[in-house]
Amino acid sequence: MWQVYLKELTELLRDKKTLLFVILLPVLIFPVLFGIMGLVMSNVSRQAEAEEHRYVIINAEKAPQFADALFYHKNFKRMTTELRDPAALKQAIRDNQFDLAIVIPADFNPAADNLQQSKWQLIHNSSSQLDMISKHFTELLQNYSKGLQQAKLTGLGVSVDSIAALLEPVAVEKINTAESRENVGELIGGWIAYLLVPLCLAGASYPAMDIGAGEKERGTLETLLICPIARTSIVLGKFLTVLTTGLVAAAITVISFGGWGYLIGSLAGVDIVEKAMSTLGLLDLALILALLIPLTATLAAVLLSLSIYARSYKEAQNYIGPLTMVVFMPLVVSILPGIELNWKLALVPVLNVALGIKELVKGTIDYSLLGLILVSTLLLAGAMIAFCVSWFQREKVLFR
Amino acid sequence: MIQIQHLAKAFALTKDHKLSDSEKADVRFGGTLFHSVRDVSFNCAAGEVLGLLGPNGAGKTTTLRMLSTALQPDRGSVLIDGKDVLKNPLEARKRLGFLSSSTGLYGRLTARENIAYFGRLHGMTETALNNRIEQLFSLLSMDEFANRRADNMSTGMKQKTAIARAVVHSPKVVVLDEPTTGLDIMTVQTVLDFIQSLKAQGTPVIFSTHHLDEVAALCDRVVVINQGISAFDGSLTEFRQLSATGDLRQAFLQTLAQEQA
Repeated sequence: MWQVYLKELTELLRDKKTLLFVILLPVLIFPVLFGIMGLVMSNVSRQAEAEEHRYVIINAEKAPQFADALFYHKNFKRMTTELRDPAALKQAIRDNQFDLAIVIPADFNPAADNLQQSKWQLIHNSSSQLDMISKHFTELLQNYSKGLQQAKLTGLGVSVDSIAALLEPVAVEKINTAESRENVGELIGGWIAYLLVPLCLAGASYPAMDIGAGEKERGTLETLLICPIARTSIVLGKFLTVLTTGLVAAAITVISFGGWGYLIGSLAGVDIVEKAMSTLGLLDLALILALLIPLTATLAAVLLSLSIYARSYKEAQNYIGPLTMVVFMPLVVSILPGIELNWKLALVPVLNVALGIKELVKGTIDYSLLGLILVSTLLLAGAMIAFCVSWFQREKVLFR
Repeated sequence: MIQIQHLAKAFALTKDHKLSDSEKADVRFGGTLFHSVRDVSFNCAAGEVLGLLGPNGAGKTTTLRMLSTALQPDRGSVLIDGKDVLKNPLEARKRLGFLSSSTGLYGRLTARENIAYFGRLHGMTETALNNRIEQLFSLLSMDEFANRRADNMSTGMKQKTAIARAVVHSPKVVVLDEPTTGLDIMTVQTVLDFIQSLKAQGTPVIFSTHHLDEVAALCDRVVVINQGISAFDGSLTEFRQLSATGDLRQAFLQTLAQEQA
């Protein structure tokens, strides 16, 4: 078995594709990719923040204070128009003459004594995800409304002290019991599993194809089968190789993420990653690894079974593609809001490990649930390895 | 000495397997099974070279795979030096060397590493392995590419490496499945010289081929397999006598015709 293992590793280490998938991809490409994504995102939102919105205001003279506030806001630029009709204004916005129109009713009078709600109109295109127009407008209007409220209440004889009590009868002070680690963990814990598990899969996929279907395609399998060594030893040697590369890929990713995180953190002064890393104890890291090993073993056994069934490399790729989707589904579920680890979910493969890792990062793991995840994943891994071994004994699989 | 008696092997057909017209005519299709090899028997003594002939799909490769323990027969027995191969396949594999034209090498390993890997799998000690490799390298004049990766070798170099790999453990019997198919003339000569050298050492060789000139040049015995049954088993001289002119091609066609009738 170790002969097979050593030979497979030697051969894989000499292959540029393995190096790409197992080492280069996690070390360089992922951080670079995420870095670029982060840069683009922050640029887009900064641009949106700085964008100037052209507006027209109808009957501005009825609310001069509001009109002034709008005029002096850095994100708004006043335009003039002869249009009055909302439909015409809408069309003008569509024609890109300006970005928004505010229609104040002609009978609006802030100083009037009657207590009647006034209905204004805000016309704009709110389909953008970052709807900055609404955000800025609402802020301005809230300030303006507050001034009006105070003026009216004072006019009605309410004392200045009572105004706060009247407008906001109950004020709530929120005290968060979550430690900062819990918050950070909730934020990034799910994503850590979301990254680690596919990396284990990616690190294991290519070698699995190479030493299963690849061996069939190259015509070396038959020779291997008639060596005086039990088929169980051959398949276990191959299985260990796939498991090793999967785990190495994951380990390299964690180390490279730590390294990049530390580098970026110390350069840009963002210490969230550093904080998260420092709160994770050695025990937590060991437990994360303990969860990943049986899961990667399961994946390795499945990958090897698919690969040895395939007649060629290409066929193996066709089988492994859908497997990736199957693995991603529970991972997506694990990062959905509201999904918490419980007894039932601790028995769902992949999802349980993802949630377990999230809880470990948060520092809120229930150790009995963790035990359940470990036991169920180990059982699954054992079953899949047993299947893989018996699969490898079948003539129908080996000589298709 | 190898004795093969009444070997048979059937493969399950998949449900969506539609029989073509020629397959319907083949007597070996029965129900959900394809009886690839139905009844094959022959012997090969020490120092003998046995040529296995037969049309494509006759069951030659399946027979040789059963002989080499890659496939398990449904019926029959294979004895090497009186020992039952099927009862103890691991023991039998130590005595067998196997090579086919489609046998590949590990492309990212050198010639030496390819050979050494199989030597170790055969349980050879490092000293014995190194001695044997040196011996094979000078025998097959392989020294110049001993450390070259298989991916960067010519076809001839690859075939020499494959030969050395097949006999690194000094097998008692060598099985070759169409070892010259698809090779150039120079490489074919390497393979034929190799068979000749095995014969000189007294190692029995069983090889399947479509080239009758190879049979004429090397074989002591001929076995013809047709539709999964050994239709002829005898010496080369007896085989020649099947045709009036002593022509091997005629003798082969004659055997098939007899079988059909």
